[in-house]
Amino acid sequence: MRAWLRSANAALDAEGSVRAVAVLRIAAGAVLWLHLERFVRLMDDGLYYGDRFHEPYWSWYPEVGKTTYFWLLRLAVLAAVLMSVGLFSRLATVYAAGFVAWNLWLSTTHYHNNRAFLLMILVALAVLPSGRVISLDALIARRRQRPRVDRAPLWPLWLLRFELAAVYGASGVSKLLDGDWWAGTVTWNRVARSRSELAQAPLPDWFIEAIADRGFHTIFAKVVIVTEIFIALGLWLLVSRAFTIWVAVWFHVFIEISAHVQVFSVAGICALVIWATPSTRDRTLVLRGDGRRARTLAHVVRRLDWLARINLVHDRGDVPAGSADVDQVVTFTEVDGRRLAGSAATWQTLRYLPVTFMVALPVSWALGLRTDVAHATLTASPFTRTK
Amino acid sequence: MLGVAGFSLLTIVRGYRDPHRVFAFHMFNESSVWQADIVRVTIDGRRVSIDDPWPGGYRWATLVPERGLAYPQVRRHADAGVDSTLAFLDAALDWVALNTPADPETRYLEATVTYDRNTHGDRTVVLRSVGRAAAGGGADAETS
Repeated sequence: MRAWLRSANAALDAEGSVRAVAVLRIAAGAVLWLHLERFVRLMDDGLYYGDRFHEPYWSWYPEVGKTTYFWLLRLAVLAAVLMSVGLFSRLATVYAAGFVAWNLWLSTTHYHNNRAFLLMILVALAVLPSGRVISLDALIARRRQRPRVDRAPLWPLWLLRFELAAVYGASGVSKLLDGDWWAGTVTWNRVARSRSELAQAPLPDWFIEAIADRGFHTIFAKVVIVTEIFIALGLWLLVSRAFTIWVAVWFHVFIEISAHVQVFSVAGICALVIWATPSTRDRTLVLRGDGRRARTLAHVVRRLDWLARINLVHDRGDVPAGSADVDQVVTFTEVDGRRLAGSAATWQTLRYLPVTFMVALPVSWALGLRTDVAHATLTASPFTRTK
Repeated sequence: MLGVAGFSLLTIVRGYRDPHRVFAFHMFNESSVWQADIVRVTIDGRRVSIDDPWPGGYRWATLVPERGLAYPQVRRHADAGVDSTLAFLDAALDWVALNTPADPETRYLEATVTYDRNTHGDRTVVLRSVGRAAAGGGADAETS
């Protein structure tokens, strides 16, 4: 217990890379725009929340007139753009978080779970110095010969991890405790009431019949509940994190297809980036020669290694004589010193790139590749290991 | 940090007693459906549907377009659960009563709501807005 407390305390004091947070900042700017779009459309019609039914949470809560509201909203749109490009990043994230929070609490009608989810992300971005990398701020600082350090105290990141994992946990447990949900009544009834809409969809009849069957939902509901709770817990466990992220992406895709959840799906998928290790270039990819495979992989890594997981070494010299085989061209060294070569090295590389992760993870497992996570010491801090 | 985490857990637990489940993340919690007949009860005792012409040219769907309340006469899914819908509808009746100053004849609004919570069968509840002064939209002491 004492050792665990010491480990937790050290984790709270730890510093690390804010690279993943910077990636989230870029995505969150776009998500924020999607969130604001509904309010902007109202503004274009000359309307704001005060013109229609609204219900303040508290009588003392500060409100503003329509003209002021519109200006604050325009500034929020500007903040979304600045967040994504990384200009005045701290100011933009603080304003964005402040506006979204204030707007959320203006009326009970403004509350939606996806907006609360977005707010959590924005608050964390406002607290963390997310503009230190992948930003115009960083570019300008480099031009001024004052490059910024890609490190910061990480406790806000751990807090964000807790908050976002709690969302999956709360949702799963609320369903688990609800007899109608557990029995499949809720999902079955939703599908049954949507039969006419489903009939219009480009779906085969047998599929519609299957998902409208009451018996299907007694199992399906339990799968949903277990999946949500699995995501909430699996993200914390070293051995399951990568698979959990993979499951979570599919889970959000399924939700987006089956329901209208505003920005929840895209925010949920983007936020999964925070589970990457907050350290950079701790794996080495060595490419030899100037062949097509080496050039292509080098190009892919340079373009898509947004989280800077890989230290790329491209030796354009001749490949050693008699070694035309791919094992000599591509080698990948893991954090723990394990060395992979050839196709295994290629898939392991792709596994660490956000864009190729969803395909590369199952392939790397099919190839029987170990991950550093699976073999990481379980006594290490749960906060600091990798997906 | 522990304070924020503790507060989050508190809001999740509190959500079990909050109709709107704010920061409790009880997603897709119900498949319940509801429908409401809303009338304006006038000073002379007439019960006029909100679908009928309204002094001042008001339209319910324009006044209350949020949270799936725009067309209450159509039976539909209760987006965030029956409790949330009833709470919003109750508040919406009050808001409309207090924000329709060009209507000189309505005394209060009344909604007869029929809902079916997760296929457990229809139940009916009547909600009533705060009372309005005879003209000008001011409220009197009546409560919903």
